[in-house]
Amino acid sequence: MKNNIMIIDDEKIVGDMAKLSLEQEGYEVETFLDGESALNRMEKKSFDVVITDLKMKGIDGLEVLRNVKHLYPDTVVIMITAFANLDVAIEAMRDDVQDFFPKPVKIKELKASIKKALEKKAG
Amino acid sequence: MARKAPFRRAWRDRLRHALGRAPAGAQHDPAALFTRFQAVLAGNNRALEAITDLGEKLGGDYLFDVNYTKAAYGELFAAISDALENFTILTNHAHPGLAEILARLDRQVQRILTEEVPESDPLLIFYPEITWDLAETVGGKNYHLALLGNELRLRTPPAFAVTTRAFDLFLAHNQLSERLQALADSRNQKTDLAGLREAIMAGAMPPELETELARAARRLAGRRGAKYLLAVRSSGEEEDGDFSFAGQFESILNVPATAAAIGAAWKQVVASLFSPGAASYQLQLGYDPGRLKMAVACVAMVKARVSGVIYTVAGSGQDDVVLINAAWGLGPAVVDGITDADLYLVKKDGVAIISETRIGRKELMVVGDGAAGIRTVPTPTADRGRPCLVDKQVLELTRLAMKIEKHFRSPQDIEWAIDDRGKIFILQSRALKVDEGEKPPDPENEGANDPDLPVLMDNQGVVVRHGITAGRIFHVRSPEDLEQVPRGAVLVARHDSPQYVRVIPFVNAIITDTGVATSHMASICREFAIPTVVNTGNATRLLPAGREVTLRADSDGTITVYAGVARELLREERRSSVKLRHLYEFRRQKYLMRYITPLHLVNPLEEEFTPAKCRSVHDLIRFMHEMAVQALVADANRQAGSLARRLFGRANTLRDLALPLPIRMLLIDIGGALVPDSGRKVTPEQLRSRPLRAILRGMLEPGSWSNETMPLTGRNFLAGMTRTADPGAISAGANLAVASADYVNLSLRFGYHFDVLDSYCTDQPRNNHIFFRFVGGAAALTSRSLRIHFMARVMSAYGFMTRTRGDLLVARISNLPAAEVEQLLTNLGRLIGCARQMDAALVSEAEAERLADEFLAGKTAGDFLFDKHGNR
Repeated sequence: MKNNIMIIDDEKIVGDMAKLSLEQEGYEVETFLDGESALNRMEKKSFDVVITDLKMKGIDGLEVLRNVKHLYPDTVVIMITAFANLDVAIEAMRDDVQDFFPKPVKIKELKASIKKALEKKAG
Repeated sequence: MARKAPFRRAWRDRLRHALGRAPAGAQHDPAALFTRFQAVLAGNNRALEAITDLGEKLGGDYLFDVNYTKAAYGELFAAISDALENFTILTNHAHPGLAEILARLDRQVQRILTEEVPESDPLLIFYPEITWDLAETVGGKNYHLALLGNELRLRTPPAFAVTTRAFDLFLAHNQLSERLQALADSRNQKTDLAGLREAIMAGAMPPELETELARAARRLAGRRGAKYLLAVRSSGEEEDGDFSFAGQFESILNVPATAAAIGAAWKQVVASLFSPGAASYQLQLGYDPGRLKMAVACVAMVKARVSGVIYTVAGSGQDDVVLINAAWGLGPAVVDGITDADLYLVKKDGVAIISETRIGRKELMVVGDGAAGIRTVPTPTADRGRPCLVDKQVLELTRLAMKIEKHFRSPQDIEWAIDDRGKIFILQSRALKVDEGEKPPDPENEGANDPDLPVLMDNQGVVVRHGITAGRIFHVRSPEDLEQVPRGAVLVARHDSPQYVRVIPFVNAIITDTGVATSHMASICREFAIPTVVNTGNATRLLPAGREVTLRADSDGTITVYAGVARELLREERRSSVKLRHLYEFRRQKYLMRYITPLHLVNPLEEEFTPAKCRSVHDLIRFMHEMAVQALVADANRQAGSLARRLFGRANTLRDLALPLPIRMLLIDIGGALVPDSGRKVTPEQLRSRPLRAILRGMLEPGSWSNETMPLTGRNFLAGMTRTADPGAISAGANLAVASADYVNLSLRFGYHFDVLDSYCTDQPRNNHIFFRFVGGAAALTSRSLRIHFMARVMSAYGFMTRTRGDLLVARISNLPAAEVEQLLTNLGRLIGCARQMDAALVSEAEAERLADEFLAGKTAGDFLFDKHGNR
């Protein structure tokens, strides 16, 4: 079965490009422009990987992370953000987040991170 | 938002300050002058690095957002402004036009970044007033056609553009802006499109737009008034750009030149943004409906006796052939695939020769019907099988087409008409989508044995888009049938139609009885890579509805339709329905690059090398670099000529460095670069500059500089050497070294590429650096990029940090002992000698890498055995 990935970013282009690149790798991808609609979706469906922007209006990446970990402890979370210098946040999330990428994110690295996480998860 | 308006204002203020300040003789102090020169170069280098970074991040390998683009552009703007400020002082305000160019470039970039139409934009512009920076204001169709008239002086009909600003104004005036915004935000595909079209048609024209239209109509038609007829056509923001939008929007022909009639036609064109077909096309290109802005072209009707289309590349492996389709009457006969048009193929290499003529039946033609528009009528019997062009016209059309292709530097799809007096008019030109850049046909498939299946149709028709695919036949007889087309069908129809775009995401192939490879539908099928065959004559009869078939359309023009599914033929790889270029946001960010990266100014010896011809930030950099070098040289010349210098010494004067190479090298000694008492002409032996000696050591090594391959023509700097004593002319394009005992800044120009090498080489490793930049080149971008690939590989092996993008290489290394710096400079000297003749030689990345490894293993340019064309 295909692994499925959720992408949350309030800039459409980030989700669109990620979806395009990750679908080429054989993943099933759903994109969301805000945390709220993503969490609504998550109540109905689980995802293997959640890639979320940190800074978003309304429900931000940290809150998404908390919810994911509450609902699906096994789901891998990858955080992306435009602001690279967030040591404190990174520190706080270190245990729960697979990887942390500053934007612009090299797609190749994102793919590698997803692959590694899924392999680890599969044991 | 890293860079906001206050930041930008600060830069503008600095610029203004610099421009307004009278230079208090600073240019007479050589040290100060050189400091300015270095500052110009530093600003340029920062700008080039920012360009490289933008190109890299927006190229598709990174996830980026608009904040990144804004910040990166902010850095670029700051760097280029800095360079311009120093340049203005260095050149004593000699080129005041540059600041205006930068402002115009900035305005366009801001417009793309913010998606806002400036309120200062006019509502309407006549074609002669459309300039290079107004693509977004007037839309693609207006822009290209206007440039053909303004720059190439081709005959185009009198015309004006109604701008995107008019579009915005109309929407605001009718309270439709919010409705469209809501539509864009909702991303709801099942919108009430019909309601929107009605609202637009019922909308009131804003009074100022009506006044402008009336004025324009009067200016065009004069006393003829309503008898003067116009074609009112769409010119969307992106139309005729990366995507053709061919046939997606309304074109209203024979519109009387009155404000009321033009206004009504304008609304019809604008409303067609929301036709089901156009909306579907926009969705496929990643637009949220309601986001695309529409400009409109109002072009005088040509009383066309014959009309048609030219493809400057015929396709199907015939890259050296121009294809012309022609039919009697007005253009829709060809572009809407209404009739079986004439076909002319012309070999374009050398003297153009008509290689093939196929005269169509042309049973129907489209004619004007006065103010009532146009109608399709039977062609008079005598004209049906008769060629509608004579050879002379075919060759003249070819000549015009080649001129247009050369101007846009890419294959073109051109609409034209010949009026009743035999005059040729160009009506439209847009980039032609060819299969270039896609994977070559899979030999296993293309060469595969014929499957053991009955053949239903064999070698009938014209391949529009090659491919192998299977599906069930579905006949489309009317537009209503489109609603029923099942996913994966092979659509078969009598005529081709741009309406089919609605089902393109779902069908596997399209086959039609009539039609030409130059129709709107053909353009769109190529854009979306749908295997398509037209003009089969009787596919609707040969291919029964409901039958499962396999279509094999090869790129060499072979066509076979088998009954049943030939699984062995079908490629494993399915067509990906979405590609990166189908994402609107992705394209939008890239559009700003057209004001940044293209290099139009190539040769400083050409008259075109002026501020007015600068059309990108890259051009500004190129211009400033060349002129900064010239300013330095001219100043040195002045000093050399002054009595005081003759009496009191020759320091800082301009010398000729005589090298056993076919290049001219000028030298400015800023302290200790030469042995004392050197004359006006110096030899390498008289040099004391450590870094310059090291570079020349490499350049002068046996074999480094293969003379057999000089790709130097009368247009390059050698021509400059034969000119007379105007210092500007002598130094234009010359190579210049500014050197001291431990420093060199070398500006090199070979043919069409130019390098900058800047190095300190002292006993203090911390101070030492080498900076190298290589850009430009006359060969096709692919081979130029391959040369960059070659150089980057070599320089990385030497330990440089390298960054490349397209035709630009920036490399640097620092903090290393003098002996190592010297060794690297010698290696660079060899590399420069080798790379200068590589323009046309490379064919693949693998080859570039192999040559790089050979070079690193000690081979020289001479070993690569280039012939005089740069071939091996």
